[in-house]
Amino acid sequence: MLDDWDDEQLLVALGEAMRARQAVPESFVDLGKSAYAWHNIDAELAQLTYDSSREPVAGLRSEAASIRALTFTSAHISLELEVTEGSLLGQIIPPRAGTLETQTRAGTTTSTPVDEIGCFAVEPIPASPFRLRCRTADGTDVVTGWITL
Amino acid sequence: MRDDPSVVALVARAAGSDQDAWNQLVERYAPLVCAICTRYRLSNHDIEDVGQNVWLLLVEQLGKLREPAALPGWLATTTSRECLRVVTAAQRLGTRLDDTPEFVDDVVIDEEILRAERDGALRAAFAELPPPCRRLLAMLFSDPPHSYTQISATLGIRMGSIGPQRARCLERLRRADTLLALSAGEFETNTPGGGPGA
Repeated sequence: MLDDWDDEQLLVALGEAMRARQAVPESFVDLGKSAYAWHNIDAELAQLTYDSSREPVAGLRSEAASIRALTFTSAHISLELEVTEGSLLGQIIPPRAGTLETQTRAGTTTSTPVDEIGCFAVEPIPASPFRLRCRTADGTDVVTGWITL
Repeated sequence: MRDDPSVVALVARAAGSDQDAWNQLVERYAPLVCAICTRYRLSNHDIEDVGQNVWLLLVEQLGKLREPAALPGWLATTTSRECLRVVTAAQRLGTRLDDTPEFVDDVVIDEEILRAERDGALRAAFAELPPPCRRLLAMLFSDPPHSYTQISATLGIRMGSIGPQRARCLERLRRADTLLALSAGEFETNTPGGGPGA
């Protein structure tokens, strides 16, 4: 490539490269850098596989649905969430006891117990965006992607 | 650029516990992730969401990547998949007004990968130049470029020296390791000014 480029072409390419970087918002880059906080945390990432706000409800607009429901799925467990007024209810499927951690982008973490049928309640609803990390006695350790309600 | 030694080294360091190496990877490839999101015409909010997921998935994959040098390809494919998920969800819900989103095929993705590799190598090479060269070239590649009169006044270089210094600085840039690795790669057809968004 460079063998064929004269100085003018190289300079143009350099300018384009610098501007391509400047066009990316710093907030976007910062989010990427902060993702490294999750490095070496031996948790499996659970993907969002269902979001009621993104599913049309039988002829009704989604706004008509009173409860927002989300499902996150990893190789070993699913996490079913329901957003009600004032709290975030959830269940680990298949059911098992453990601990649920809520982490906000600001870095604060709070713990909530998960009962033996896998249920938990987070109150109040965490500030968006947040993510949930779920650890159970059998060694399951799963973290969700960032959730914005 | 399957054999870019700097990417392989950065991935290896980041797979350890080197936040600085990770930051450099993000700095280098954020434009690629962003560019692909833009191809899918995502909103700023969705771009942030997709970006989040892509970086988190990469954090998870560090140390497991079978071919660290192919990281740009991995990032592009992963970003594209995440974008598709957002687009399909919005279409199903009917919240996406343009129901004919730009067709983002493998050719487009490959273009963005090549572009990102080239741009990343150019920026890395530029960063290694001595400060006087960086100052001079920055004034020359700015859009619109500065005149020799402005450059002479700002940098205190005689008008007659600007041309020769420009040539010397660009020659140094050409000989930077990152660019030598790039020219040994598959970039013959990728000329500046012809790329997307140019």
